[in-house]
Amino acid sequence: MANKYLFLFAQTHEEFRLPEVQSVAELNGFKIDFLSPISELDVSRPFMIFGLENEDHARILARRCILIKSVCEFYARGKTYEELHNANRLNVPKWEKYIEDTSFKFEVSAYNHSIPQKRQREVVENFSYMALLGKIDMKNPEEIFVCVEEYVDKHGMTRHKHEGDGDCREIFFGRLIEEGSARQLVKKFDVKKRSYYGNTSMEAEISLLMANQTLAAPGKLVCDPFVGTGSMAYTTAHFGAWFFGSDIDGRQMRGKDNTPGILRAAEQYDVSKRIIDLMTFDVTRNPWRCGELFDAIITDPPYGVRAGAKRLGRKKPLKSSGSEPPHPDTPRPDDQPYIPPTKPYELSALARDLVLLARYILKPGGRLVFFLPTVTDEYEEVDIQTMLCDGMEVIANSLQDFGSWGRRLITIRKNTSERYPPPSFDAHGGSQPVDDPSVTHVPAHKDFRTKYFQGFRKELE
Amino acid sequence: MVRLITHNLLACHAKNCTSNNFPLQFKDIEIELREAEFNPDFIRGFLPKLEWKALIDAAKQLGDTSLPSEQPEMIDDEFLKNLHHVLLEIHIEEGAMICPNCQHVYPISNGIPNMLLAEHEIG
Ligand SMILES: C[S@@+](CC[C@H](N)C(=O)[O-])C[C@H]1O[C@@H](n2cnc3c(N)ncnc32)[C@H](O)[C@@H]1O
Ligand SMILES: [Zn+2]
Repeated sequence: MANKYLFLFAQTHEEFRLPEVQSVAELNGFKIDFLSPISELDVSRPFMIFGLENEDHARILARRCILIKSVCEFYARGKTYEELHNANRLNVPKWEKYIEDTSFKFEVSAYNHSIPQKRQREVVENFSYMALLGKIDMKNPEEIFVCVEEYVDKHGMTRHKHEGDGDCREIFFGRLIEEGSARQLVKKFDVKKRSYYGNTSMEAEISLLMANQTLAAPGKLVCDPFVGTGSMAYTTAHFGAWFFGSDIDGRQMRGKDNTPGILRAAEQYDVSKRIIDLMTFDVTRNPWRCGELFDAIITDPPYGVRAGAKRLGRKKPLKSSGSEPPHPDTPRPDDQPYIPPTKPYELSALARDLVLLARYILKPGGRLVFFLPTVTDEYEEVDIQTMLCDGMEVIANSLQDFGSWGRRLITIRKNTSERYPPPSFDAHGGSQPVDDPSVTHVPAHKDFRTKYFQGFRKELE
Repeated sequence: MVRLITHNLLACHAKNCTSNNFPLQFKDIEIELREAEFNPDFIRGFLPKLEWKALIDAAKQLGDTSLPSEQPEMIDDEFLKNLHHVLLEIHIEEGAMICPNCQHVYPISNGIPNMLLAEHEIG
């Protein structure tokens, strides 16, 4: 039977926790037993208990998941210490092997609270029934026993340091297996310390979470068709994947130096060799010769707030039918001299096109990982359905909440090995029957840009 | 940048340019050689995606004749290494790629090709 493990998560991005552990487990070819239906798990709490086949799986998760602070072998939980100790006594077979001759220490801590030292000592003393005979070693113990108290988050309300001490929601106890070591990557990829970034750069932690959703690994091929300043290139390449980036605006990828900015930053992270190529093109007019190329698409599409969503073409077609559109002069070898006209690209059309493109250009089983901004009050689950098509299935949908709006990290898997044609990128030429509710439903992310500016004008006043 | 693996995947996509639009022809190019990580499984897995003749011709044009003119039946390590070098270690930094059909010029500068189409080239 699977053993139980206690996971302590960072207190952030709660909706991203389960998708991340699931992705890393899938990448490494093992299963997590969530012990109850996933929909019933309370992700708002930073503690979760899962079943795993063995300790190695726990270590793999702790080394790759950005949101894991530590993993313990689970011994007991309780609403009170009495409950906790009773449960722990029933679990003697789990820890009796450490009684005889194992050096150890106890770590007592709390979430959303700090326990006074004096009581910390009391807590440790109350475990004396375990009768551990080994040496207590505060520096280099063979085993660390972890006892954590969970306090309800006061949501920004200040309270005195030790106020309400002991008044916790629940207590957890186990043996430390591994501290999460992937979290330190958040510092490594800090945008502010990067040699090249821009105002569209994605924060490090999210770029890392996105990379994990793509199952990035050596030998995988991943692309970002809205690559901008390349934030997700560095994290996916860090995990070993080969990377292609493209953008309609070459200046985003280049910056000011001769060496393109994305390459300069990739150099800093020692991943420039894995950036296969960067190209300037409009994703709706892309030059890919064939489909089924990539293992994943990772992208933050433009939604018209900071970086405009646009595509080649004119807003209003040129008038007289006879006249030819202006012709570029002989192109010069950079992106500057001839800039073709562009027209706006509405978000819900873009999202549907992106899924169709992914179905064409991903290998079977490949993943599309992207952000969709949504208006919090208007969002409905079916909004996501409006952009799906046969063969594409949503496997994760995690909200990053900014209050009146938010963005959802959507992970879609290509569940078909059938070949599909490239999309027409023709906003109205939907191939689905019109009575399909997923076509007639107007998603809340439609015209997001307009809504964004209307909604936020109120707050500015 | 503009490695031959990429070149092998790009076709001219101007309006109505749908035949004889691949492979793009190199013009006035400057190349650089840069070592890349050798991942034999990746190279082997990519073989079915390649247009072999286009790859051989491009490699020849850049002075590399290490690959056989037909994809071999037996795949050995030496072949994979040569293919790795051709696909991933030759970088075209400057110059242009030209469509053999409509003559569209896709310029390359500092390793980044400009694959944008002009207004009269989109549908
Ligand atoms: C939100 S930004 C992506 C930022 C990127 N993740 C980064 O780290 O900087 C969106 C990007 O999409 C580009 N873009 C907008 N419309 C496009 C189109 N039709 N095809 C390709 N790129 C487009 C913009 O130039 C912009 O760089
Ligand atoms: Zn052409």
